[in-house]
Amino acid sequence: MEEIQYINEHLGPRYIGHFAILLAFFAGILSMVSYFLATQYREEVLRSRSWQRLGQLSFLAHGAAVFTVIGCIFFAMLNQYYEYQYVTAHVDGQLQQRYIFSAFWEGQEGSFLLWTFWHVILGYVLMVTARSWEKPVMAVICSVQVVIVSMLLGVHFGFGDFILKFGSNPMLLLRETVNAPIFQQADYVSLLRGNGLNPSLQNYWMTIHPPTLFLGFASTVVPFAYAVAGLWTGRHREWLRPGLQWSLFSAGILGIGILMGAAWAYEALNFGGYWAWDPVENTSLVPWLMLVAGIHTNLISRATGQGIRATYMFYLGTFVLIVYSTFLTRSGVLGDTSVHAFTEMGLETQLLFFLVFYVVLSIGLMIWRWSHIPVPEKEEATSSREFWMFIGSLTLFMSAILITGSTSLPVYNEIRAWIDPVYEGLTLTDPEAHHNRFQIWIGIFIGLMSGVAQFLRWRERNFSQHFRYFAIHAGIAILASAVLTFLTLLWIQAPNFVYKAMIFAGWFAVWSNLDYVLFFIRKDPKVAGSVVSHIGFGIMLIGIMASSGNKRIISKNQFLMEGLTEDEEMARTTLRLYENGPLSMEDYLITFRGDTIDGLNRTYFVDYQRMDEEGKIVETFQLEPNVLYDKGFENVAITNPSTKHYWDRDIFTVIMGLPPEEQSVKVRQETEDSLQYRIMPLVVGQRESFRDTVAIPQRNSSIIYTYSVELTDFRRQINHPEYTFEPGDIGLGAEVRVSRSGGIANYDSTASVAIVLREGLLYHYPAQINDINFRVKIDERVFERLLVKDADLDYDEFVLEPGSSFTVDGQRITFQQFISQPKIDHFRAQDGDIWVSALLEADGETMQPVFLIRGNQPSGVRDEIRSLGLYAHLSSLNPETNEATLRVAKVQPQEPLAIPLAVAPRSYRTDYITIQAIEFPGINLFWFGSLSMMIGLLISMVIRLRDKRLLAAR
Amino acid sequence: MKKSYLLAILLVVVAVVLLFQTGNATSEYANFAKAAESGSKVQLVGTYVKDKPTIYDPLTDPNYFSFFLEDLAGTEREVILLMGKPQDFEMSESIVLTGRMKDDKFIASDIQMKCPSKYKDQEEMINSLTES
Repeated sequence: MEEIQYINEHLGPRYIGHFAILLAFFAGILSMVSYFLATQYREEVLRSRSWQRLGQLSFLAHGAAVFTVIGCIFFAMLNQYYEYQYVTAHVDGQLQQRYIFSAFWEGQEGSFLLWTFWHVILGYVLMVTARSWEKPVMAVICSVQVVIVSMLLGVHFGFGDFILKFGSNPMLLLRETVNAPIFQQADYVSLLRGNGLNPSLQNYWMTIHPPTLFLGFASTVVPFAYAVAGLWTGRHREWLRPGLQWSLFSAGILGIGILMGAAWAYEALNFGGYWAWDPVENTSLVPWLMLVAGIHTNLISRATGQGIRATYMFYLGTFVLIVYSTFLTRSGVLGDTSVHAFTEMGLETQLLFFLVFYVVLSIGLMIWRWSHIPVPEKEEATSSREFWMFIGSLTLFMSAILITGSTSLPVYNEIRAWIDPVYEGLTLTDPEAHHNRFQIWIGIFIGLMSGVAQFLRWRERNFSQHFRYFAIHAGIAILASAVLTFLTLLWIQAPNFVYKAMIFAGWFAVWSNLDYVLFFIRKDPKVAGSVVSHIGFGIMLIGIMASSGNKRIISKNQFLMEGLTEDEEMARTTLRLYENGPLSMEDYLITFRGDTIDGLNRTYFVDYQRMDEEGKIVETFQLEPNVLYDKGFENVAITNPSTKHYWDRDIFTVIMGLPPEEQSVKVRQETEDSLQYRIMPLVVGQRESFRDTVAIPQRNSSIIYTYSVELTDFRRQINHPEYTFEPGDIGLGAEVRVSRSGGIANYDSTASVAIVLREGLLYHYPAQINDINFRVKIDERVFERLLVKDADLDYDEFVLEPGSSFTVDGQRITFQQFISQPKIDHFRAQDGDIWVSALLEADGETMQPVFLIRGNQPSGVRDEIRSLGLYAHLSSLNPETNEATLRVAKVQPQEPLAIPLAVAPRSYRTDYITIQAIEFPGINLFWFGSLSMMIGLLISMVIRLRDKRLLAAR
Repeated sequence: MKKSYLLAILLVVVAVVLLFQTGNATSEYANFAKAAESGSKVQLVGTYVKDKPTIYDPLTDPNYFSFFLEDLAGTEREVILLMGKPQDFEMSESIVLTGRMKDDKFIASDIQMKCPSKYKDQEEMINSLTES
């Protein structure tokens, strides 16, 4: 086949990008090998230094190449080069510039690049700051970089039928990834459009959450690299100091990243909460727990020399868990257990290799060096601080194991299924309840211990001397916490002992750490960070109990269904609201007020009025939950909640559903088409009836109703509330009275309907009478009946003064007078118009043709007397002679105009929404507490960095 | 650090015991027959039966959605989901329900749907990408 010469392709970024990926890969390998040899030859200074130099240079090149790849993708995305597969997949013409970053890391490749980006930055920092540790640490980081960049290579090796796919290249062209007839066209590029960014990611949290989380992810490699370096070089104590600083940084950032994810879920998603024990959430929490455990043993090691082995294991484990998390979320193994895992991309084998390699490396190093790691002869005392800190670390470790174990069920299933193909797989029946049951105890335990440990001393030798201090402070803390717990229980409920214990543990941590900081801050400012973190932890415990344990469903179910358990009844939390139909729920009066559409975004207005016990309105506020349609309004892509924040509680509201007609224009059209309209031509004052059989929903019976329709008024002007006049409109409006009898009660109501002809298009303003599911509109055939074309009429012209009479086809007509600026039915004036009508009388009926000057252009408006078959124009008027030029035509007298009304029974209402409304008490305690925890870690890091500088200065 | 070792071992034992307890919190994906047998809360996988009637009328009850599901054993039963009809329900490839059998109906209090990726075949994808 002939090679097609494509036009308009932009291949520059492709060539540069491909080259840069290869460069990044090979420079990474070179750097890794150089640093490795530099470490191995560390005894021979000159040889080691030259290898180190090469390692540095190649890492600089590696970093530059990574930046180039990222730059190329951004360049293609910003210019919307849809010939690139990655651009078509994540960008479209409607993408706002501020979401370009979200679009970049929406895909696997982009998020891998983000990860490598942070590794490069961290690598550069380490090259400057790590000094004697640079060689081994950088060797480890380079090895990780090589593995990750290999996921972007996109090289395929074929061995016969067996094809080994090596990575997924983000710089591929669309025509290189899929085969489609469109690529037979040389100008296919101009035909392409983008797919766009997933609407749930079009959110500012998605601009800041991924980079923070990935910085957290990426930075765990540094403690890992220090641990490997310590084992490798045998300097088991020296690495503890830089290792601690980096892990404090990493834990702080990773924690903030996780919290941002929780905030995104709470602010922008519709599951009504901040944490759901989803596998993806779990696998990012577990490394954090492990890292925090490592930080604690690291502190012990620095203070006492104990627990170096544990520190090694925790730091190695943290990174392995990060890789495991990557494996779980990106290999597709989680499948249907998680809502936000990536789908399979053919990288499973590579990811598995990634995981196995670092597991084996970690275990191998530990076994190799186990007996070489120094352990103090003397055991720590049970009454020492390090002992209880160690227990705390082990508890965190246990928590991590439990979460990992339950989250790994899909992996277990996969392995079982591999051995035994008929094996169907296990699943957690209720993941949230399961995790909460264990983790609540761990929370309590940690809360208590973080308090007790603060009252103990490092390397306790003589506890009896210290006992008095310990007993007094711990005793007061217990008393104070008990009182505070009692007070808290006046505010929120804790239905059982465990929950009460959790609140107590929270207060105990807060109190004892406050006590501690007041005594020790002057002696040792380093405690500040730890105290902030531990107080934060205590507050977080209380916040979790308050917000999750006491969340109150405001949108209670209104409908009875028998035979449900309490849990099942609790699940029924959707509330239906009619527009402008207030509904009393708990202590709120909720009213759905209406909505507006802006682009694809539709915002609903829901009024809340809070009432006190006597029913008086205490306060009112409005929430604005919205839905986002996909292109073409054929589907609701996503619903976004709206939340009213108070200092002590949040009111959360999200749209759960819309009427099908509001979800999709297609359904709306289908519903309109399926309505069985009957045409009832009625003259003003006429009333007609018909019968219809209506089925009762969900019951096998029906009712016969009699509907009566009366046309009470008809005008050539519109009073419909939704109509706004535009120049050039020809509009007709009618008032209709509809009544229904039969059934339980009779209904009677009036409605306004209208129809407008605007620039050749017809616009209906139908009336939907919801009480009786009835729809009325003016049929468009009204125009045929109403509008007699001027060309079909035979006009006679008359020039007359007011008061004179004339005859047209035997019909005598009197021109009575001019009326200046009359207010009439068939003409609507605009600003700047000058208009005059001629009042013509015939057989007691009148008509008023209009002469109009609008913007210096003269024109006119016809009028008619239907019953006499008369049509008249006022063509011009002569101010000097006071004469009018009239053109009058006469045809056969016509019947009074019967307005064709189209009416449809069984037209069901669409003016409702269904919502979920939840009150979260004390949720700010959770945010404040958890954020304090992370900030405390960062404070500790900063204090330690400053300390180091002070030491160096001395 | 003898004591610490002991404690570490103790904690690992506790963790393992707890993990085995996890076994109680798990179950195999049930089918309607197994669900009827056990009578308690189970998770059940199946596919939506498209040609049987579904009922969702928020005007009558916004927390009542009824449809027919075919489980992996091929049995069809009516399911009553105690919430609104989920978005994209018709597109779902497979459905995981949490609930219990009551008489011959399955009362579900939670649902997870697996939807196919937006573009099943490449042609469809290219078509959608070229439409304006």
